Amino acid sequence: MNLRMKSLAASTILSLGLISGPALAEELRFTVWTGSEAHLKMLNEIAESFKATKPDVTVRFETIPAADYTQKLTFQLAGGNPPDLGWMMEDAAPTFAAAGVLMDLGPTLREAEGYDFADYSEPALGLWTKAETVYGVPFSTSPFMIFYNKTLFDEAGLEDPLQLAASGKWNMDTFQEVAKTIKDKTGKWGFEFKDGQGYESRIMHALMPPIRAHGGDVWANGECGFDKPEAVQAVQQLHDMVFKDKSIVPPGEQGDYFSGSSAMTINQISRASKMPEAGFEWGIAPLPSGPAGESPVIGQAAIVVFERGEQKELAAEFVAHMTNKENVAKMAQFFPPARKSVLESDAFTSANAIIPAEQMAHVSDAIAKGKVLPSHEKSPQILAAMAPRVDTLWKPDAEVKQALAGVCAAIEPLL
Amino acid sequence: MADTLTDKTSARPWRAPRLSLRRREAIEAWLFVSPTVAGFLVFFLGPLLAVMYFSLTEWNLLTQEATFVGVKNYVDALSVNPDFWHVLRNSFVFAIGLVPLNMTLALTLALALSRPFRGVVFFRTVFFAPVVTSAVAWAIVWRFLLQGEAGAVNQLLASVGIDGPNWLREPDWAMVAVIVTRVIKMVGLNMILYIAALQAIPRDYEAAARLEGASNWQIFRMVIWPLLAPTTLVIFVITMIGSFKVFDHIYLMTGGGPENGTLVLAFYIYEQGFKFFNVGYASALAMIMFVIVLVLTVIQMTLRRKDMR
Repeated sequence: MNLRMKSLAASTILSLGLISGPALAEELRFTVWTGSEAHLKMLNEIAESFKATKPDVTVRFETIPAADYTQKLTFQLAGGNPPDLGWMMEDAAPTFAAAGVLMDLGPTLREAEGYDFADYSEPALGLWTKAETVYGVPFSTSPFMIFYNKTLFDEAGLEDPLQLAASGKWNMDTFQEVAKTIKDKTGKWGFEFKDGQGYESRIMHALMPPIRAHGGDVWANGECGFDKPEAVQAVQQLHDMVFKDKSIVPPGEQGDYFSGSSAMTINQISRASKMPEAGFEWGIAPLPSGPAGESPVIGQAAIVVFERGEQKELAAEFVAHMTNKENVAKMAQFFPPARKSVLESDAFTSANAIIPAEQMAHVSDAIAKGKVLPSHEKSPQILAAMAPRVDTLWKPDAEVKQALAGVCAAIEPLL
Repeated sequence: MADTLTDKTSARPWRAPRLSLRRREAIEAWLFVSPTVAGFLVFFLGPLLAVMYFSLTEWNLLTQEATFVGVKNYVDALSVNPDFWHVLRNSFVFAIGLVPLNMTLALTLALALSRPFRGVVFFRTVFFAPVVTSAVAWAIVWRFLLQGEAGAVNQLLASVGIDGPNWLREPDWAMVAVIVTRVIKMVGLNMILYIAALQAIPRDYEAAARLEGASNWQIFRMVIWPLLAPTTLVIFVITMIGSFKVFDHIYLMTGGGPENGTLVLAFYIYEQGFKFFNVGYASALAMIMFVIVLVLTVIQMTLRRKDMR
């Protein structure tokens, strides 16, 4: 071997060593689905404050878009490249917990100084605990709220949802009425499903609130609820709004609320960060009540640690840090807390930079009264089996009852 | 001999053993192809064998548990699971719709744009541009254009009195929409291949045929078309394989819906493997797809060979 060959070989070996060798400072990789600068800034501040006890530890937040989040996370786990910790959506929780890929955080959290694990309300932890095992800590227990465009309501000469709620008139019937009036008077859509995805990836977010308001459920205890009279009634009303009143953005059409094309939508308060740049007056209000009274629907997400990560003990400590009282209060401006002490404090209702306290009070109220979205170990299969049947529902001449019976036939074997 | 001088010194430098020219050439040839062979083994044959093995197991991606189940996954696909035949039908409909449309359009464009004229480069660029456009941007724009009432396509149709369908929400029309938008996106590539082939045909042939009194159609049918046959075969094979493997376009345009109307094989494999984590079943489906494409390719090549004789 001549000198050149020798040096080439040496540098190759050296660089291979660098690639596979352990990093000197410890870094935790944390997957999230937010790309919002405000969210990431806050998360990085929390990571920075972890250095008070662990000066050598840095946390790198990695954004994976929400639509692909669960799949990409699975690839990383299966490909031997697990993140140390990450966010997890409620519909993925049972699948991941059953697969044994989530670390039990119970011991770390119960021992953490000043953590006060009992401060987490039990219903909020329901999805994330099994007996003494804690699979995740909910960082966002966020009810679905009505976001409305006050400018459009004024233009149509209507009371807005918040005013209607204050006088006790905010129910599914007035919801249908105002949506139609807006469409007739302003030409804009009355209502858009969450992120305009109600017919595709957010079927549950579209159907769940009215079904619960009518006193139904999509499934419970292994039984399908879509074909029960309450659900049929609720969906029939939506169907009328889409195809008769033409007040809800119909399938195949785009009517973005955030750019002013729809007067109302359903979303969570983390999305309010998008509102200041919207260019119209806006507000948030509770979901309209139905024959079954008020029945808020909550979407939940938690922080989990992956069993296959190499630094899981350290990651668990970071979870304890991130979800202590101080940091939960800090995150509460975007992500409604599951900690009772924070939820009940003024800090939560009055500290939001974007949403007025009066409206935040409705958020607290919804968290207290609401139920989390349904979840299932086979959620992905159920949603996939449901989707083509739900497609048959969203046609002008569809028989709602028949279509919903079809949904049940498709998902019952999986429940 | 030059070596006689060095023969006398005691420390003789290392010398390659004398090899015959043939062996030396063989070694050199292997050295030249070895990067490709290594790539083939690592990135093609290895995964292919792995997929074959996975297809005989029940493997959950999330739990990493794998059990050997023999041909169960194949039996499930072919006789138990009702979705499979529907999905296969969709894949064939997509291919049968896309391949002829794509090739006819590509050839027509190539015939129009193979001869130099003022602005020819501009037109070639226009038709080729979609090929290099991001698939995501393409899908977003088309989803916007294909909206039920507010979409530009339907507004255009309405202006001539046609009540357009809700393209992406009706199963049959959604299939038409994904085929046509895919053709518009990819036709530029085949057009370039055809242009290259047309430009390689000596102009004398055409001139000779014209002297014999052949019409334009006869020149195309008797002279140009037969000479394009090898190119047509290549284009047919790659377009067909591409249409069976189509994934991104479906994922972005319809997500397999509505009513599973555009659920094609590659997308179904993705769903099974990466949404439901049934890697074994997904691998069996991938093997079935591999066999289908292989068989179609072999048939086409055999027919072509007979034809050429």
